[in-house]
Amino acid sequence: MGELLAIMLFFPLAGAGFQAVWGERIGRRASGLAAAGAIAGSLAAAVAAIWQLGVTPHQISYGSWFAFDGLNVAFSLLYDRVAGLMTTTVTFVALLIHLYSTLYMREDKSFARYFCYLNLFVFFMLVIALADDLIFLFMGWEGVGFCSFALIGFWHGELKNVDAGRKAFLMTRVGDLGYVAALALVVAAFGHASISDLTGRVGSLPTGMATAIDFLFLFAAFGKSAQLPLSSWLPDAMAGPTPVSALIHAATMVTAGVYLLVRLEPLLAIAPDVGATASLIGAATALYGAACALGQRDVKRILAYSTISQVGYMFVAAGCGDVAGAMFHLQAHAFFKSLLFMVAGVMIQAFHEEHDMFRMGQRLRRGLPGLFILFLCGAAALAGLPLTSGYFSKGRTLADALAHPGSPFLLAFVLAAIAAFLTALYVFRMLFVAFFSTPADPAPLVADVALKKMERPLWPLALLALIFGFYNTPEFFGLRPWLDAYLAGTVIPNPPEVEHAERFVGVLDAFMALGGLWLAWIFYKPARRPTAAAAGIFTAGLGLDALYRRALAVPYFRMAAFLWRGVDEHVLNGAAMATASGVLGLSDTLRRVGSGRASASLLTLLAAAAVLLTWLAVSFT
Amino acid sequence: MNVPLSHVLAVAAALFVIGGVCAVARRSIIMILVGVEFMLTAACLAFVGAALAWGNLDGQAAVIIVMGAAAAEAALGLALLVHGRRGGGTANADDYNRLAG
Amino acid sequence: MTALGLLFYLLSAVALLAAVLAASRRNPIHAVCCAMVVFLAVAGLFVVLGAPLPGVLEVVVYAGAIMVLFLFIIMLLDLKAEAGTVPMARFLVPGVFAAATLAALFALIGTDPSGRMPLPMALATPAAVGQMLFDNYWMAVEAVSILLFAALAAVLLLGRTPPANANKGSAA
Repeated sequence: MGELLAIMLFFPLAGAGFQAVWGERIGRRASGLAAAGAIAGSLAAAVAAIWQLGVTPHQISYGSWFAFDGLNVAFSLLYDRVAGLMTTTVTFVALLIHLYSTLYMREDKSFARYFCYLNLFVFFMLVIALADDLIFLFMGWEGVGFCSFALIGFWHGELKNVDAGRKAFLMTRVGDLGYVAALALVVAAFGHASISDLTGRVGSLPTGMATAIDFLFLFAAFGKSAQLPLSSWLPDAMAGPTPVSALIHAATMVTAGVYLLVRLEPLLAIAPDVGATASLIGAATALYGAACALGQRDVKRILAYSTISQVGYMFVAAGCGDVAGAMFHLQAHAFFKSLLFMVAGVMIQAFHEEHDMFRMGQRLRRGLPGLFILFLCGAAALAGLPLTSGYFSKGRTLADALAHPGSPFLLAFVLAAIAAFLTALYVFRMLFVAFFSTPADPAPLVADVALKKMERPLWPLALLALIFGFYNTPEFFGLRPWLDAYLAGTVIPNPPEVEHAERFVGVLDAFMALGGLWLAWIFYKPARRPTAAAAGIFTAGLGLDALYRRALAVPYFRMAAFLWRGVDEHVLNGAAMATASGVLGLSDTLRRVGSGRASASLLTLLAAAAVLLTWLAVSFT
Repeated sequence: MNVPLSHVLAVAAALFVIGGVCAVARRSIIMILVGVEFMLTAACLAFVGAALAWGNLDGQAAVIIVMGAAAAEAALGLALLVHGRRGGGTANADDYNRLAG
Repeated sequence: MTALGLLFYLLSAVALLAAVLAASRRNPIHAVCCAMVVFLAVAGLFVVLGAPLPGVLEVVVYAGAIMVLFLFIIMLLDLKAEAGTVPMARFLVPGVFAAATLAALFALIGTDPSGRMPLPMALATPAAVGQMLFDNYWMAVEAVSILLFAALAAVLLLGRTPPANANKGSAA
């Protein structure tokens, strides 16, 4: 088992190194295939590992990293069934995205750099998925943040891309303060930072300390998963290439926050306030994301806000303590959201880098019918149309919130349910406007054979988007819930109230989805020739970004400018220069004493003689 | 005679000071040189007085030496003045100030 | 008060008065003439103090050669001067220092009790002075002669009329 995990981690890392050194030399096709091959090897190792995995988790250590003062940090892995699911999902989706990337980046010159970072990202994500030691996990955490920055700002010739990458990095960094603070508390309380040991000894921790640690980890998770209040980096992160958005900001990195909470679930269980906060903020974010998605015109920004919204659902489930439910929605979302992003990538390239969906239309459906089917599958899953994967997974999270005792959870349920309606609304708005309308100002359609080829890796995802739900159906369906059974030994099972709630939620969810579809049809059907509304506060993300800019960035810049001009230049530099010029002035005055006139020298001589003699006279009498 | 040595020295001191004032306060090079001569003469006077007081001829030998030096210095000073005056210079010490900082 | 003592004080007064006069004349000829009087008076003082050789040398060298040289130069360079005296203000600052120096010197002179003894009557013959000079201070004599030789060479160099060549202009 240890060897399989080592192979799984080694392949992407070696791939990244290979790309960095030889990537440019071997040419575009070979580079892409090498990168995809590395991920394929990792996927094979992941499947083999999960095949051999029983109920008992494996703890493997590859050696000590550093140790001082009693703290021992090791490269230790905790491979249980949750980790197994995560690694297979990540490697599977990453492989498809790599294959898609070889076609998407077919005209880009920096392909070696791209594949290097992409492979490196997968490596760091697998570290997060597998790590046992929290400091080792933090290495992966920071690593994905760095790769995300490098890939968002991939086309660094344009400054706004780099700004977007920097914004993402800085905002997740703010969250990471919470991680480091929590890490400090954990080490102070336990003397080490190993998850497996932690979850075993949770009982010995006082509630206040546990609440503090959990809140700090929750804050870090908010940052990484783009939840309120640290969500405004994700829409701007769409400046990167679309496969990057698909991998990082749909399937993997944004789910790292949820995954962290899932791994630390026993720690969350003894601090109920944190769970309530997680669910409530997750639901609020879900509503926020869905509302803002309704105000967007850019296809990628719609999907970005949609991601913010859907990850909120995962937080609702994690906050209720339902690990299986959170993982279920995580996997389903990974499949249908990456599918949708990659479809959006093809749409953008089909219209020659046009992002505005109000300039696309039924020509797209007629020209690329396969693409339309793919989008339909993903959209149905996202909206939660009955019997799709999204229907079952989202229903599960809503049922968790409804069944959990406590008023925060009820409020979370209400918000999440409204968000579900809005989700269906914006998804079908996007479907109708992008694929059915006749725009007043159409963009030119490009006929490129590569576009049809790019659809090929997406069919497995479309299939999964539709049928993955049957993997874990609720009780009243009568089918066996595979995921719950698989995780039965590893996680706390759901209380029976959840199953009762699922019936109610199932019906409600179906109504929401169909209602959203109907309302979207009313507003956006092609006969009405829908035009975009003017950009308003929903387009600007309810002013969150502007608020941060006004409250934080601008004062910081002002203070930096003050410190630069005011303190550094005027005070420090000025002091140094003033000292220099003061000395200069002093020496100038002294210089004039030596005027070169003989009479002055003579007078000085006489004065000196007078002084000397006076002193002599005084001392001798 | 009834003149104490201190009186001789006092006369010499007075002559020295007058020569000093003349050398410092006057701008003309001639006058500066005259002042310097006064000061040297005052020193000679003091030497002679001391020679008489201690019954030693060394003082008078010193006078001879001093006079020789004074002669050389006066000659050189005047030669410099002549040299400086050539080509339109002045006899004013203040005008030779090219060594000013 | 012996006659020599009286003569001493008289000659001192003349010397000091003439010195003051010389210092305050604007016309350089007048100043140099006053200086000559000073040197003649000092020569007399030397003789009164029993040093005839220095006295004669004073007259011959100082008053007779150096001051005459001054007069030659003044007339050669045709140094003009305004009539009358130098303004008092010019003497103020040096006068302060000079007064301080004088006071200090007087104080120093006054501290020595052996200075109160009256001077003996003596006369040093030139032969004796010459003998002593070349017995004990021959090195100094040779040094002074080299000094005079150097001065002679320098004066000759400085006094050279510059060649008609325009490059070697004399600086003011």
